[in-house]
Amino acid sequence: MGHRLWMMVTVLLAASLVLAACPGGQPPAQETQPAAQEAEPSPTPEEAAAVEEAAAEAEEAVPAEEAGAEAEEQAALCPEGVPTLTIWADTNRAPVLREVGDTFQAEYGVCVRVTEKSFDDIRDDFKVAAPTGEGPDIIIGAHDWLGELVVNGLLAEMDLGEKAGEFLDAATQAFVYDGILYGLPYATENVAFVYNPELVAEPPTTWSQVAEVAAELEAQGMVDQGYVLQQGDPYHFFPIQTAFGGYVFGLTEEGYDPSDVGIDSPGSIAAAQWLDMMVKEGHLKADIDWDTAHAMFENGDAAMIVTGPWALSRLRESGVPYAVAELPGEVQEAQPFLGVQGFMVSAFSPDPLLAQTFLVDFVATEAIMQAIFDADPRPSAYLPVREQIQDPDLVGFSAAGANGLPMPAIPEMSAVWSAWGDAITLIFQQAEDPETAFRNAAEQIRAAISGEQ
Amino acid sequence: MERRSGGPGAGSARAAPAPGAPRGPHWLLRLGGLALVDGIAIWLVYQMLRDGFWPLGTVLAGVTLLVNRIFLQEELYPLRWISPGLALLAVMVLYPILFTVYTAFTNYGDGHLLSKPLAIRVLEQRRYLPEGQALYDYVAYVSPQGDYLLWLVAPDGSQLLVRPEAPPEPVEGEPPEVLEGYRRLSRGELIREGHTARLVQVTFGVGEHQFRVSDKRLGKAGRYIQRYTYLPQEDAILDNATGKRYRAVEGSWVAEDGEVLQPGFQVFIGAENFRRLLTNPALRQPFIRVFLWTVAFAGLTVVTTFGVGLFLALLFNPPEMPFRRAIRSMLLIPYAIPAFISVPIWVGLLNPQYGVVNLFLRDTLGLEIPWFSHPYWAKVGVVLVNLWLGFPYMFLISTGALQALPGDIYEAAEIDGAGPWQRFRFITFPLLLISLGPLLVASFAFNFNNFVVIDLYNQGGPPMSGTPSPVGHTDILVTYTYRIAFASGRGADLGYAAAITVAIFLILVAITYIQFRYTRMLEERAEQL
Repeated sequence: MGHRLWMMVTVLLAASLVLAACPGGQPPAQETQPAAQEAEPSPTPEEAAAVEEAAAEAEEAVPAEEAGAEAEEQAALCPEGVPTLTIWADTNRAPVLREVGDTFQAEYGVCVRVTEKSFDDIRDDFKVAAPTGEGPDIIIGAHDWLGELVVNGLLAEMDLGEKAGEFLDAATQAFVYDGILYGLPYATENVAFVYNPELVAEPPTTWSQVAEVAAELEAQGMVDQGYVLQQGDPYHFFPIQTAFGGYVFGLTEEGYDPSDVGIDSPGSIAAAQWLDMMVKEGHLKADIDWDTAHAMFENGDAAMIVTGPWALSRLRESGVPYAVAELPGEVQEAQPFLGVQGFMVSAFSPDPLLAQTFLVDFVATEAIMQAIFDADPRPSAYLPVREQIQDPDLVGFSAAGANGLPMPAIPEMSAVWSAWGDAITLIFQQAEDPETAFRNAAEQIRAAISGEQ
Repeated sequence: MERRSGGPGAGSARAAPAPGAPRGPHWLLRLGGLALVDGIAIWLVYQMLRDGFWPLGTVLAGVTLLVNRIFLQEELYPLRWISPGLALLAVMVLYPILFTVYTAFTNYGDGHLLSKPLAIRVLEQRRYLPEGQALYDYVAYVSPQGDYLLWLVAPDGSQLLVRPEAPPEPVEGEPPEVLEGYRRLSRGELIREGHTARLVQVTFGVGEHQFRVSDKRLGKAGRYIQRYTYLPQEDAILDNATGKRYRAVEGSWVAEDGEVLQPGFQVFIGAENFRRLLTNPALRQPFIRVFLWTVAFAGLTVVTTFGVGLFLALLFNPPEMPFRRAIRSMLLIPYAIPAFISVPIWVGLLNPQYGVVNLFLRDTLGLEIPWFSHPYWAKVGVVLVNLWLGFPYMFLISTGALQALPGDIYEAAEIDGAGPWQRFRFITFPLLLISLGPLLVASFAFNFNNFVVIDLYNQGGPPMSGTPSPVGHTDILVTYTYRIAFASGRGADLGYAAAITVAIFLILVAITYIQFRYTRMLEERAEQL
């Protein structure tokens, strides 16, 4: 009996470790926010980010490793007593920042350490490291992390001073939380309407036209699916919802209002009904994920898709003819989610003034912002660079995002993604009628926010 | 630590520790080793307590004391050999479990990440410029002793010289290079010599005429005022700009009108998380369905993987089987590939429209199976994928156990005229179950919480309709509760998640206990055989 008991205890210990690891070990943000930045394959935009990130890492594996070694060398070289700045940056931005750091060091003798992390790890690692005093002075991140980081008191207020006017207004606005600015933006991103000009002569201007064009193309047997949309993905569905007059959270002067859930507003339901019609008439099929949707467009099996600048490299590689256009409207202009990336300063930085000076005086310059843009082309948030973008595709994306809505950064957003995505999936699978699906999702979201759960 | 105590002296000392008996050099060596361990431990404990990790620090201190006792008390001599193992068990296994249980009774999570002193520090370092106050440009001066002076230039052109704890004096003209022995600092020198960090801490002037440099813009100063002050007597935060008081209530700063000041702090909240869990409406309705499916998923996985694994083990057990080794090695491949790679590959293969599996089924049988969108087919799919992942393990342990079965029983059975099926049914299978029973129970417990496979396959989908909180047909308890804990509308709620973990742990204890009772029954029956 004795050893049995021990074995049982051991098994249970092992099992409980698995348990302990599961909820905590996973990035708690799984459903929290679609990392504004990267692509969104299938239901949660987050995974897309992971996929993209993985791909990016694979591509740059070698330089990244070299860079890592270099960073360690730099860290080792930081002499005692010299002012030091630590920056956490992702693979794309780290080499650029390392260069700025070197200039800064040469000019002012400040030792700049750049630690490379995957974009999505920065937020979680920062939450763990900052309160212990071991964290960085500056991080790179997405604006929709703000809610989470600000309620935890981890970010320092930012002041762009005279440079404020050199940034895209919508981008700095996205970094405002509760009336306070917390970030210096460097890039924006949003989806646009991408179509195959060989199949579609003129991009449709309303979603009803999209349905007509799709029906025509399919009837002629030109494509499998005229317009392709992955199942259960709120991020890519949002422009349709806004075109029909729907919204997620009501927008007031003070930002998004979590007590005003718009998933079951008439406009949102109208958009859901449009989706239901598309599925019923066979123009949209269930079980298409982000990858499949893009593969279909690239093979010429689909003629229209909504996607972001993160898909540009694969579009170009595929050789498919494509053009970037503004999103179709319906009862009003469509508004995509706007994601903004930028720099933030830790509230636990021992020298916040130095960190801010570095950002405002050294990073917010045309040369550096251009270098950041070149390293990973997304519409820059810095106007002197943004206005010089020549690439017609990026110009298209930035035009499509001109009236974009910043992705809500409030913590309540975490309650939205999975309920909203499930509702869209249920329509795709024809398991519920559109009105019921969206009404129920709204109820779930309200229940979660009110704390009944 | 080094107990090279083969000598008779040490032996007798242990038997009868005579007072004042001479201690050998090994005693000194042991003391030295212990002192080294203690030194490291004390340093670690000190660091942890200083950084506020007191639970880990306390456990580490306790473990160190125990190790000291074991090594210094001769009666505990046998424990010395396993003390490193016990110490590791305590720190690496027991501590995380205890910490999880502890967290379940706190409000740890977004908005309550910091300790109370840190939260107060964060709030107290915020400052503001009262409305209508001007922002001055400044030139800073430093004395050889490291004291600072500021030469302020107001927007209207008037100039002031301010020093700590003295009223400001109006000045005229250009700021000189050297002022009263103070050296003028250029912008570059401010940064290079590390003055930025120190300068923001200094208050210049007195009374109403207090100036501080901005902690956001270099070269700007003004009459900044500390925004929040902690009032220890009232245990509240005072907002100096509005006069509002925020009292500390269960880890949040709450004003009279209900307004909450962020960030809150971490605090012990008793059984609140468990109360929330038990009264959660989401738990009542879909919970039973999720629970039943969890048991079914774990049970089906064990049965199917064990069935296939055992079958293959039996098939490749006879030595006369050709290519036995090669095939056995190949069968282990699924075990060697991480689920993070193989599950997404399976998801691609099973894609209803473009996946190889469905293309094949469509061409041959005219079937189109909705592997992800149909409640039943999704369950079948995830069990099949888990079968693929899990059978090599069962194959491996069955092969091992088969080889350990005694041959004489089979001879006896053959003499009694038992056929192959009877031999399997009445000898092989019962004997295998005895040795493999505990492993099957472990496999059940593991799959009961197999978050990875469920999440990678379909994120718990397809969604159920009409439920009070989002839940899918293939969600098991751990993925379902993960959704509740991290999609709560309050960001990550780690205390709540820990409470759920503890609850699932208790359920698992009950199930595992019953299962072990059952395997013990098998064993007892075998003993009677």
